[in-house]
Amino acid sequence: MKLELQHGSRSRILAGLILLVAAVFVIRLFYLQVIQHGYYVGLSTAEQVKRLTIPAKRGLIYALDGTTPVQLVLNQDVYTVFADPQTTTDNSKIIDTIQKIAGGNAQSNLQEKLDNKASRYQVLATRITRAQADLIKAENLRGIGFQDLTQRVYPEGALAAQVLGFVDYTGNGQYGVEGGLDDQLKGTDGILQSVTDVSDVPLTIGDKNVNIPAKNGTNEVLSIDRSVQSYAEQALANGIKRVKATNGSILVMDPQTGRVMAMANLPSFSPADFTSVTDPAAFNNGVVSAPYEPGSDIKTLTLATGIEKGVIGLDTTYNNTDYIKVDDRVITNAFKGQTGNITIQHALNWSLNTGFVTIAEKLGDGSTITKQARDTMYDYFHNKFGLGTLTGIEVGGEVAGTVISPDDPDGNAVRYSNMAFGQGLDVTMIQVAAAFSSVINGGHYYKPTVLAGTVDANGAYIPLPAPSPLRTTISKATSDQILQATQTARCTFYCRQDKPGYTIGGKTGTSQTLVNGVYVDNQTVGTYLGYGGTDTPRYVIMVQVSGQNMNIEGGTDVEPIFSDMSNWMIDHLKLQPKG
Amino acid sequence: MSYQTATMYSSRRQQNWSRNQNTVAFISSVKLGPVAHTVLVALMITVLGLIYLTQATRATSYDYQSQKIDSQIADLNTKKSDLEVENARLTALETVKNSSVATTLATPSNTQYVHE
Repeated sequence: MKLELQHGSRSRILAGLILLVAAVFVIRLFYLQVIQHGYYVGLSTAEQVKRLTIPAKRGLIYALDGTTPVQLVLNQDVYTVFADPQTTTDNSKIIDTIQKIAGGNAQSNLQEKLDNKASRYQVLATRITRAQADLIKAENLRGIGFQDLTQRVYPEGALAAQVLGFVDYTGNGQYGVEGGLDDQLKGTDGILQSVTDVSDVPLTIGDKNVNIPAKNGTNEVLSIDRSVQSYAEQALANGIKRVKATNGSILVMDPQTGRVMAMANLPSFSPADFTSVTDPAAFNNGVVSAPYEPGSDIKTLTLATGIEKGVIGLDTTYNNTDYIKVDDRVITNAFKGQTGNITIQHALNWSLNTGFVTIAEKLGDGSTITKQARDTMYDYFHNKFGLGTLTGIEVGGEVAGTVISPDDPDGNAVRYSNMAFGQGLDVTMIQVAAAFSSVINGGHYYKPTVLAGTVDANGAYIPLPAPSPLRTTISKATSDQILQATQTARCTFYCRQDKPGYTIGGKTGTSQTLVNGVYVDNQTVGTYLGYGGTDTPRYVIMVQVSGQNMNIEGGTDVEPIFSDMSNWMIDHLKLQPKG
Repeated sequence: MSYQTATMYSSRRQQNWSRNQNTVAFISSVKLGPVAHTVLVALMITVLGLIYLTQATRATSYDYQSQKIDSQIADLNTKKSDLEVENARLTALETVKNSSVATTLATPSNTQYVHE
């Protein structure tokens, strides 16, 4: 039987209408599913697929205790307890619980906060530990919530604060190794992109899942020895208190490797409480970031240059009249009376400026500090000893300082005569100590460093290989003479301070300071730079003390800090006396 | 149920006998109509769908287990970190200096060295 709708019949009209409605559906579906496909897939993906950041753990920082790493900076999860005052019911119980469990971390005005019904977020306690948070949770307090965050923890308190620096609220390291090694410590965040359920639990369904694990920051081991650092800070504090000064710095390093064992400054700060610091200058590590005119300890470098160039020896004599004329200026000695024909060694012992201006002259034509003499001094001071250049130490905020080139109009004979005894140049303690290390260790310049190695994810210590010298500054023969000269110079006045049987050498420095571009008479910076050991120097110690409107002497005021530290180092390193 | 048997089959291309060659075909007496076919296909699709759902749900249940284990690992890591912090605090120089043992220690008055 052949079914056929009659033309114009109601059935045919109905069929046409149905076809029309079906066509509308098809066209609409085509629009939604084909033309608008990308848009709706995007909406769906945004709803179902979550892109989560897997935060990388910031690397820990260790110091050394002998040869064993000990933790100086760790990470800890802590919690902020907050309340929704519109939801809380038993406020007295909440207050009792928070005060009892959070203790000093509880806010002071809890009642007032909970009574503030206009607010839906009031912080009740900050930085409580997980154990404390669990105890509060166990009380089942209505309207109480927790926010977790990671903070840096300093089990040694303020020890080595300016070496460490701190991490600010954005997670960036500031100052110290936190700033200098921020990229290594920070690590790289990972990414987890996945379809999630309503509770944001990642599900394995879907074809757009991404799982890139976080790369945690490197755990750095510093060459800072915890015991040496602690004693250095104490010795510096005692020394500053003794002379009633306000500022001081101390540096202890191994001259055979360039590794820094201790580095401290006063005033300092507590890294865990960096927000309470009112003067940001306290964050600066003066050893690397405060160039100054170091004074007479630079004479050891002038002496090394003169001996290395063959223009003088320790027995070379000159006629000391307590003053010497350079161009239109007259340079005088701080200590007067050692006049007549005296040796360079004698000039070093008594820190006579005239002797070292004489060396500068002998580097030229013998009577004036010629361009050749200035070029030679600049080559040694700047290029070989590294004064006025960044050392590359891994502590943030290092400053290069200034050593004026002889090609500069200010690099004249007067300038270089001053540089011969440590004035007229701005250098940092780390530069001077690294240079001094090279002239007493056989002539090997090592890059100063605070790094000793790393700790891997399993907690194993991986020491860095022994460092190699960057360059040779002077010959072994010259270095041996500097060792002898500085030992004699120290023994002239301070031999009794030292333990017998050890080789201790050093040089004082008392430098004038510039105030508004003019040298003043009522403010000096005192420095002592020396070494100690047995057959070979095992440590170099540099100490600097200053105070506003205070004349600090390198010998009387600062040397006792060196002696204190040096004698302690002998015991700490278990050095056996000679003879 | 009965079958018609021994119906001869001859390929048009191969009229001769050869080894391993079926020469007999069984034809069911049960005839399935288009509705039955549709129902069967729908049932098969349903079964396959159920199998898919079962597998997908099982995978999701593993996700929840995995999430739970991850959460436990995170908790244990946090506790481990807390213990490390506590250990570091207890072995810090200041803590050791102020310990009851340290306060009873005396500084040696003299040190003797044995020379080889």
